[in-house]
Amino acid sequence: MKKIFLNTPLIAIIPILAIIPILIQVLHGIHLGGLNILYKFFTSSVHPSIDKLVITNSLDGLKITFSIATLAWSISILIGSFLGCLSSYTIYKIIGIPKLLASLIRRSLMLFRGTHELIWGLLLLQIFGLAPWIAIIALVIPYSSLIARIIADKIDEIEINNILSIQKTGAGKLEIIITSLLPKIIPIIGTYGSYRLECAVRGATLLGIFGLGGIGTELQLSILSLNFSEMWTSLWILFISIFILEKLVQIFQMPRLYINNIGLYSIMSFFLLLICLYTSFISLINLGVNILSPITLHLPEIIKYENILSSVNTLPWIKLISETILITLLASFVATALPPILLMIYPSKLLENAISILWVFCRLFPPPLTSLLLLLCTKPSISVAALALGIQNMGVLGRILLENINKETDIAFDAINTTGCTKHVSWFYGKFTPQVKKYMTYSIYRTDVILRETVVVGVVGGVGLGWQLQESLSSFAWEEVLLITAVFISITLIGERLSEGLQKRLNNSFQQ
Amino acid sequence: MIYKSINKKLISLFLLLFTLGGQGSLSQEKLVISAIPDQYPQKLNRLYTILADELGEELGTEVEYKPVINYQAAVSAFRAGSLDLVWFGGLTGVQARLQKPGSVVLAQRDIDTKFHSVFITNKNTGIKPINNIEGLSVLKGKRFTFGSESSTSGRLMPQYFLEQAKVEISDFKWGRPGFSGSHDKTIALVSSGSYEVGVLNEQVWKDNLKSGNIDTAKVVVIWKTPAYVDYHWLAQPDLDERFGRHFTQKLQEKIISLNKSKPRQKQILELFGANKFIKAYNYQYKDIETIGRKLGKIR
Repeated sequence: MKKIFLNTPLIAIIPILAIIPILIQVLHGIHLGGLNILYKFFTSSVHPSIDKLVITNSLDGLKITFSIATLAWSISILIGSFLGCLSSYTIYKIIGIPKLLASLIRRSLMLFRGTHELIWGLLLLQIFGLAPWIAIIALVIPYSSLIARIIADKIDEIEINNILSIQKTGAGKLEIIITSLLPKIIPIIGTYGSYRLECAVRGATLLGIFGLGGIGTELQLSILSLNFSEMWTSLWILFISIFILEKLVQIFQMPRLYINNIGLYSIMSFFLLLICLYTSFISLINLGVNILSPITLHLPEIIKYENILSSVNTLPWIKLISETILITLLASFVATALPPILLMIYPSKLLENAISILWVFCRLFPPPLTSLLLLLCTKPSISVAALALGIQNMGVLGRILLENINKETDIAFDAINTTGCTKHVSWFYGKFTPQVKKYMTYSIYRTDVILRETVVVGVVGGVGLGWQLQESLSSFAWEEVLLITAVFISITLIGERLSEGLQKRLNNSFQQ
Repeated sequence: MIYKSINKKLISLFLLLFTLGGQGSLSQEKLVISAIPDQYPQKLNRLYTILADELGEELGTEVEYKPVINYQAAVSAFRAGSLDLVWFGGLTGVQARLQKPGSVVLAQRDIDTKFHSVFITNKNTGIKPINNIEGLSVLKGKRFTFGSESSTSGRLMPQYFLEQAKVEISDFKWGRPGFSGSHDKTIALVSSGSYEVGVLNEQVWKDNLKSGNIDTAKVVVIWKTPAYVDYHWLAQPDLDERFGRHFTQKLQEKIISLNKSKPRQKQILELFGANKFIKAYNYQYKDIETIGRKLGKIR
């Protein structure tokens, strides 16, 4: 029974069923009390503040954010690709070393990935004080381990039997890796890496805790003070720059060059990365960020064992964990199921473009803003938290789905359409179905991210581990922070094991 | 041989990097100021740039403003000695002072000696104004929101008064309160009706009333808390060693001497919402510390 279920592309849209309980809860709490504020919010979008000071501050913030994001991103790509190769089973198979080391690296990387960058930031800040490069490290740690996982997974997806047969001809191990594997790895780094750049720009709100400013800080403060016209100035500037970034990335992906001359493509990609690294570094120095400022060590007190023990007993773990898992699952169901359904409603280029602009906004609105907007028309509940997180991540998954679909030809779609099927059905089987496997893989990665982001939705009521983490951090209860982080990591670990199992079954069923 | 020369190059590169890094510490000492965020960015940027200019000129030192926008980050940065003078809230100031023994409370605004929070409700709830603290028990079972979890006026003191009235936070609807994240958000969420009751800084409430941001047909104050001390300037213990004898005292005098007769100083005081700054002392914050410990915000 299960096999039949996994065989259909329905698996990607079945999660839409999760929207039913969410809708029931949200509709049940619906009210009109916040309409005036919502009206102000939307009208401000066409009347953003054009005060000279506001614009210059936002632009200055943008420069800082982009420079730091690019620097952190290029370092993460280098480290992530290296660690990704180190934790890929395929490479160990070619070289002929036991896979144990790969699993070990893979699992220990999770320690870095499972912890929210805010925690890394605050922890490093506590130890080293305010220093720009600490902010960069706080971004690099989770990003590079995330990139490492994806690259390792992608390498392991490469059909290895052909490569192993080359080995039988007597070719050296290193040569095989360079000639057969590397050409396949480089484009993975190219596509996935470029997509991470946008994430890095959005994620650089972390700079606010290091006193570095940046556009994320402007955005966050104007949301806190509900200053919508200033907020829209930052949002529009961010929107335009991300739009330009996306176009630039498309140009620099150089698909033609990849097909024609893979060697040149690899060298060019590498140089591009080095140029990013160098220019962002220089630009930071020009912006007056003292990137190489000396640091001093301020070791915090060692956490006492008995404090840890007492925290184990005082926090309501089962409730916290179950709430967190519930929010995460609901949010990732929404994020996974909505993009294909939205695209299927009426497949046309025009609507596709409109939807993809909507998705840019979904990604740009931080979850605290989305949950505020939702709360202006419905009562607080777990569903609101899930929806706020789901909407943002829908923007991310939708973008990946659309990009992948547009890379393929329309042959299957046209073929099904000419048989007399409706456009919806043709889209579903002709365009979406070939993408399901890839799409599901990304959606599983996204679940990881959503889990960590549950940290930011305290506004719906102190819910889950995420809120408890904020509470413990603001009480400087490091023993609780330690325990909660450990639980986050364990949930990620269990989730990863389950998803690996699921992916294997998906692979098997698709091969059948 | 080649390796050796590469090694040498690498070493010299590292040395260069370190000397570049070291240069910062050789330059003249800078007084780094910061503030916890409770205002919109342009106001915050304007306020602290003017203040940095004013202090710098008067004290003859370079003053830099670093916008640390997270409560915990500001406390941690103060502990690590990265911030010299910080405008803290009551609770965060005590947290910072306990983590950095010897640090000194310099000054507070005239309004900070008798600070209040206000409990507000959506008119549709029909909750009547409360005359005494026991009256807070009507809030049991209501949808209730605090502001930010570290806020003295938006969380700590209100929670303390609620507990005095025997209302635990688990008595609210679903057994938990919300944390709107800021005073302004609390007003928005209560006036929309998402939350039935909320609590916030009285100063923010008054400012919003004055600027016409509050729909008084929708949201009203039902109770004002007794007075308590709140915001204050906290300075590092070693300013005298780093900037010269009696620097801390000079700094304190400078802050206190700000008055509305000079245009720039007037602007600073207005942005702070104060008539003047007055001297403040560590001991004034003893109650906040006790309450912080009782509610688990200070460990």
